[in-house]
Amino acid sequence: MPSLLYNDMQFSVEPSGDRWDITYRLPSGASALAAAGLFPGLSEADAAVRALALVKTIFPVGIKSVGPDVTHPNRIGDLKIVGPDVTHPNFIYWDKDSVSSPKTL
Amino acid sequence: MEIKGSVALVTGGGNGIGEAVVKHLAKAGAKVAVVDMVQKNIDRVVKDIKAMGGEAVGIQANVTSEADTARYIKGTIEAFGQLNIAVSCAGIIRDGTMLSLDKETGKVSKKLGLDKWQAVIDTNLTGTFLTMRDAAEAMVNGGWQGLLVPISSVNKVGQVGQINYSSAKVADALMPKIIVGEFLMRGIRNIRCVAIAPGYTATPMLTGMNQDALKAILEDVHLGRLVAPEEIASLISYCVENEALNATTIEITGGLCYPKGIAK
Ligand SMILES: NC(=O)c1ccc[n+]([C@@H]2O[C@H](COP(=O)([O-])OP(=O)(O)OC[C@H]3O[C@@H](n4cnc5c(N)ncnc54)[C@H](O)[C@@H]3O)[C@@H](O)[C@H]2O)c1
Repeated sequence: MPSLLYNDMQFSVEPSGDRWDITYRLPSGASALAAAGLFPGLSEADAAVRALALVKTIFPVGIKSVGPDVTHPNRIGDLKIVGPDVTHPNFIYWDKDSVSSPKTL
Repeated sequence: MEIKGSVALVTGGGNGIGEAVVKHLAKAGAKVAVVDMVQKNIDRVVKDIKAMGGEAVGIQANVTSEADTARYIKGTIEAFGQLNIAVSCAGIIRDGTMLSLDKETGKVSKKLGLDKWQAVIDTNLTGTFLTMRDAAEAMVNGGWQGLLVPISSVNKVGQVGQINYSSAKVADALMPKIIVGEFLMRGIRNIRCVAIAPGYTATPMLTGMNQDALKAILEDVHLGRLVAPEEIASLISYCVENEALNATTIEITGGLCYPKGIAK
């Protein structure tokens, strides 16, 4: 059962008969089904390659800024400075380091 | 076009009519992409399709976003290698009359907010346009046979309390004529477009409503009951298979009439 770590998201490629299912962990910790019954007849290694290509398409790396992010203010004394709201699910805030690309400051 | 072996993408596939359509196509042998905003509904539908022995990919996305649209079209093609059927079921309602009057003074007390107008136009019209446009682009560039299915509504005729919804749905109903006309102009022969305009359909939204209101609605339906989502799904499957159906909008209402018997 190949496990993929892509963009800080944990995916599993699980066999289901001669096909493959792709599951992943939601930020809440729950498991979600990204795909079921895919890649009939492919070997585990080939299915893992195809699965990685698919998750890269469905979950592209990027950020989307949609307005003031009031839940993550930068505090200077009493002052709260709010930046843009970055809604990509994998955006890494300064206080939560990336697993796949650790901060090297 | 044969359903078996084809690839279908259904927006709003996590609930109601979209769920019925995506399951019906999967059962008939299509590989399917379930696109919706609600992840837990995507999960449920993908699991059900897996239990039927089908192939499905679930993509959480907002149909009003151009970037999301590109992502779910590409994701479907990455998973299954082609795209043949695109059904645009994602839709919302935000009902209200354009003006409300104060009973005492007779003056306007409330106007329909731009938020309610825009949300419905964005989802039901712009969302449908984006899915149809990008699905058609993929089908043309891939050289695949295809069917585009915008979902309109019988309320395209103009329903009071739904200036936003009816405006979007009448525009959705026009799409097949325009799209197919443009395809003919451009020499694109491999893609058809048929819109479906359902009447009152037994989705959770309607079955869960006030039962007296539901009874009043059914008084105007010749069939005497709501249309089942599966009946709409089977009509869409028929549209896939019958290639003479093209550039038109088909109503499926059970015979919805205006009071006193005029068919709506
Ligand atoms: N139910 C009816 O009686 C009826 C009648 C005529 C037309 N319609 C049309 O049929 C379509 C489906 O209706 P339904 O009753 O099944 O609705 P529904 O609410 O049961 O399902 C709609 C689905 O679309 C999804 N959705 C909404 N906005 C989205 C967005 N921006 N991006 C992605 N997904 C989104 C929702 O999460 C939901 O799963 C709609 O276009 C609706 O206008 C329904």
